[in-house]
Amino acid sequence: MLVTYIEAIRQAMDEEMERDGNVLLMGEDVGVLGGAFKASVGLQEKHGPDRVVDMPISESLIVGAGIGLAVQGMRPILEMQFIDFISCGFDQIVNTAATLRYRHGGQTACPIVIRGPSGGGVHGGLYHSQNPEAWFCHVPGLKVVAPATAYDAKGLLKAAIRDDDPVIYFEHKFLYRRIKEEIPAEEFVVPIGKAALRKEGRDLTVITYGSPVHAVMKAARDMAAEVDIEVIDLRTLLPIDWATVKGSVRKTGKALIVHEARLTGGIGGEVAARIAQECFEDLDGPVMRLGSRDVHTPFAPSMEEYVLPNQEKITEAIRKLAAY
Amino acid sequence: MLVDVVMPQLGESVVEGVVVKWLVEVGELVAKDQPLLEISTDKVDAEIPSPTAGRVAQILAKPGETIPIQGVLAKIETDQGVVVPAPTAAPRWDEETEGFPGHMARKTEPPIPAPPRVEPSAPAPPPPPEAGRIRITPVVARMAAEHGLDLSRIPGTGIDGRVTRKDVEEYLASGQAAAAAPAEARPGPPPAPAKAPAAPPRKAARAPKAALAEGDRVVPWTPIRKKIAEHMVRSKHTSPHVHIFAEVDMHRVALLRANAKKEGMNFTYLPYVIQASAKALRELPAMNATVDDESTILRKDIHISVAVDTEKGLLVPVLRHADRISLKEISAAMDDFGARAKAGKISPDELSGGTFSITNPGSKGNLFGTPIINQPQVGILRLGQVVKRPVVIDVAGEDSIVIRPMMFLCCAYDHRVIDGVAGNGFLYRVREILEAGEFS
Repeated sequence: MLVTYIEAIRQAMDEEMERDGNVLLMGEDVGVLGGAFKASVGLQEKHGPDRVVDMPISESLIVGAGIGLAVQGMRPILEMQFIDFISCGFDQIVNTAATLRYRHGGQTACPIVIRGPSGGGVHGGLYHSQNPEAWFCHVPGLKVVAPATAYDAKGLLKAAIRDDDPVIYFEHKFLYRRIKEEIPAEEFVVPIGKAALRKEGRDLTVITYGSPVHAVMKAARDMAAEVDIEVIDLRTLLPIDWATVKGSVRKTGKALIVHEARLTGGIGGEVAARIAQECFEDLDGPVMRLGSRDVHTPFAPSMEEYVLPNQEKITEAIRKLAAY
Repeated sequence: MLVDVVMPQLGESVVEGVVVKWLVEVGELVAKDQPLLEISTDKVDAEIPSPTAGRVAQILAKPGETIPIQGVLAKIETDQGVVVPAPTAAPRWDEETEGFPGHMARKTEPPIPAPPRVEPSAPAPPPPPEAGRIRITPVVARMAAEHGLDLSRIPGTGIDGRVTRKDVEEYLASGQAAAAAPAEARPGPPPAPAKAPAAPPRKAARAPKAALAEGDRVVPWTPIRKKIAEHMVRSKHTSPHVHIFAEVDMHRVALLRANAKKEGMNFTYLPYVIQASAKALRELPAMNATVDDESTILRKDIHISVAVDTEKGLLVPVLRHADRISLKEISAAMDDFGARAKAGKISPDELSGGTFSITNPGSKGNLFGTPIINQPQVGILRLGQVVKRPVVIDVAGEDSIVIRPMMFLCCAYDHRVIDGVAGNGFLYRVREILEAGEFS
């Protein structure tokens, strides 16, 4: 069945709500409107206003209420209308949701999913383009995922809903309707914590996730004559599938990490440090990173292009590392 | 004496505390740091330890009573009137301990020393790159260690000529590593026919990566320059050079030159040195040799390679049977080589087959220099500038100072093949011939 990335998200929520009566969706405009991006269109009509709940504009409240429901045995999906505003619910996430299992010695769990549109490239300006995944990767007790394909969007969301711990699910709004993909009609789940080897190669490894996966794949195809690139799509950022990363870098000896989030303090730094520490004697070049410049995402399309890691910058970084 | 137990300040904004419960009674013996009472403030609850060992003399605050900071809660009578310093007794909740309720005892521990404050100074400029040093990546270092590779033999294709993992893999696959392995590591087959060991193939020239200033000129190497460069590096890498010097009195040679001039023959010093060397090589043949693989070939004929400077670079044509020809013929051959080298008309055949080399940098050749051996030969002689100098000589049994044309000769020999006695003996003999004027 041919679906868009956002339709895959809608299907995952719909199917899980059908499968498990404890699953519910809460967020701003998720009900009557069907979501600002129409991710939940039709779900309130089908599952009723008790299970698809319009909430006030208060992310702290949405998360806090979700945690309470989760402790009582429900499995709420909590939508942030834009992931930029997840910071309003930050305390509930890192101090309450993430610590619940630990604080109770494993006797309670917090099966919530917080999902929302992240990322730039859509001229959304600084409040509607952010990639704040790294903040949450610093917090034990959370799981963080960021799918790049419709298949993963559906499979990972289902896995997130069924997971007994809080999962932050970063969907990329640039991909919502640009991705149209054939996915199986039958039930499938993508396990959390497993990366995808998108392309095998010998010369260097590009480790990426989210929207840049597609630009990196294009670079791998376009540059096939000059360099044989291996592409790893992390899919899960916490915990990272380290075995896959390590195996690949030990094989190729060169690693480039590409993400749309800002460079400083980004996931790339953690991956690079671990490669440097554990693959040192296999390295045939410096571990390199490419991310957004360390500024806010500008509104002007030309400036946004300047800030985000685009096709040209990815090609240049690959070429530089290949030549080393 | 009596020591006061006071209400501690449990935080910067805390001004008072409430007594919750006494843990001791009047008359009770207490140890230092033993909890005396529990207090409560709007920030924290805490136990107050005894500031000293002694007997509780008075309790001055009842449970539920609010006491201001530093207000006295109780008095302790110390044993035998021993003075116990009181000030440390009042624990102060400061920045180091705040936020850790019940940790009053921490005050007795030595404070954690602050790390020294050293302002970072401007970083030293990076040292200039060492010439000839090879930059490699960790994986190449590991592979070189595993396979016992000499990385200087592997052509690098990375940035700035860096040897990459691929280069090492290709080198290993090509089997050159085995060829370059130490001698004892393989059975000794008879030496192959005369052929210099092939240098690893070099890749095509790349554009230089060096920063260029305005007016700088990039001169790519010509094929002959590349050949020279490759040869020089290979020679220095192959042969352990020993350089020895002889100071030669050219007085006799100068007289012979003057006589020849009278007969219309304009000889430089070079033909004399060539003939003297040829004669010495005939008498002491160790230096008239070439190296092939792991054998030395002592050559029967004496063919002397003579360095000739041209615009395009150095050429080294060979003067054949140098020990069989006259000074006049040597001189004529030198003139011929010079003229034809400038015109680019020296044939490749004339450049091969030398058994020893002589280089004469000419009248501007400076006092002395250390030449590089012309592989696969084992020796080379360099003429220095002939300079008039006062020297001490023996005149009829008396030391006398005279003015003589003096010249330094430098001889380089390959210490793999030539030992000190043979090398020095050769140069000493050349000097003798020149000083005695034993020419034909």
